[in-house]
Amino acid sequence: MIDTRRRLWLAGIVVIGALGFLVFQGLGNATLYFRTADEAVAQRAQLGERRFRIEGDVVAGSVVQNGNDVRFILTSKSVDVPVVHKGDPPELFRPGIPVVLEGRFQGDHFASDRILVKHSETYVAENPDRVATTSR
Amino acid sequence: MTTKSSPAVRVLGWLSAVTLALTAVMALVVTPGDVNMGDSVRLLYLHVPTAWLAMYVSFGVTTLASVLYLWKRTRSRFWDLTAGASAEIGVLFLGLTLLIGSIWGRITWGVWWTWDARLTTTAVLFVLYLGYLAVRKVPASPEVQSRRAAIVAIAAFLDVPIVHQSVEWWRTLHQDATFLDDRRLLDPQIHGSMAWTLFLGVIAFTLLYCWLLAHRFRLAWLEDRLADRAMQVAIDERRAEAGIS
Repeated sequence: MIDTRRRLWLAGIVVIGALGFLVFQGLGNATLYFRTADEAVAQRAQLGERRFRIEGDVVAGSVVQNGNDVRFILTSKSVDVPVVHKGDPPELFRPGIPVVLEGRFQGDHFASDRILVKHSETYVAENPDRVATTSR
Repeated sequence: MTTKSSPAVRVLGWLSAVTLALTAVMALVVTPGDVNMGDSVRLLYLHVPTAWLAMYVSFGVTTLASVLYLWKRTRSRFWDLTAGASAEIGVLFLGLTLLIGSIWGRITWGVWWTWDARLTTTAVLFVLYLGYLAVRKVPASPEVQSRRAAIVAIAAFLDVPIVHQSVEWWRTLHQDATFLDDRRLLDPQIHGSMAWTLFLGVIAFTLLYCWLLAHRFRLAWLEDRLADRAMQVAIDERRAEAGIS
């Protein structure tokens, strides 16, 4: 009887341990949820044509809409990556904001097919002086 | 314990209704939009309080009650039922957190879901507590059932600090904590009325939790008593059949 109980406990501990290991291992890869633009450029050779996520700020004034394409420069730690994005950018996309792109390196640029707009933990009122703006 | 709720619980219900209404007015009328997110920032006043209610309050109470159940000196049916009732509310509100977060993500990020560390660990947490509720239903003698559940509850709670720290430990699309972080607690980067509305929302949802818990616990307690009584009736019937008085 005591033997079965001990075995049950042991099994439970092994299961939980395995689960914990898996979660941590899985999340270890989530550290690489994105590479910053400068890291991606540094790892350019080993990344090859592989698909990955890249993060950086959209350089103000670099955004050019061109038919179905959006071209802009992504920057991080003053390393620039030219981007060609296929499809419509999300509504909140605008120059100057941080974004995460999904896609791959293609020749001299990063070919993106998905733009994720990042948001920081700061919240700022859009119209600090609302009375003034509504009574213009 | 009677079949009707006490006046104190009714007062709690009214208090949570009033604070929730106040939060809604603050969130929809008084507070400004965000400079980047516009009006969608108002989802913050639902997303954060529901997450708070589920992760810290509900699952916190479930864990505490489970520890008190496992500890021989405080072991009683009361703690087991409290743990179960609290976890049910937690699962409901964690589901709401994920749902509201998903909608907010679609609006701001542009996607309903992405496998970043915060979202992944939260999904794991949701499944863990669904598992806990399932374990509670696995047939066994009442004592074994309760003890087993209590152990699973404590194991499941290990994911809560991981979810909390996920935005610090790993790179995520999800933003970092605005308040609950040692560096930002005293200097949160959030507009004044937004912060106060968020604070009010957290209080309102905490009151709502207390009200829901009181009712859910009372129901569980009554179910328990009913089961006991049915068992007693069955035993008496068998005894009568056998001619033992």
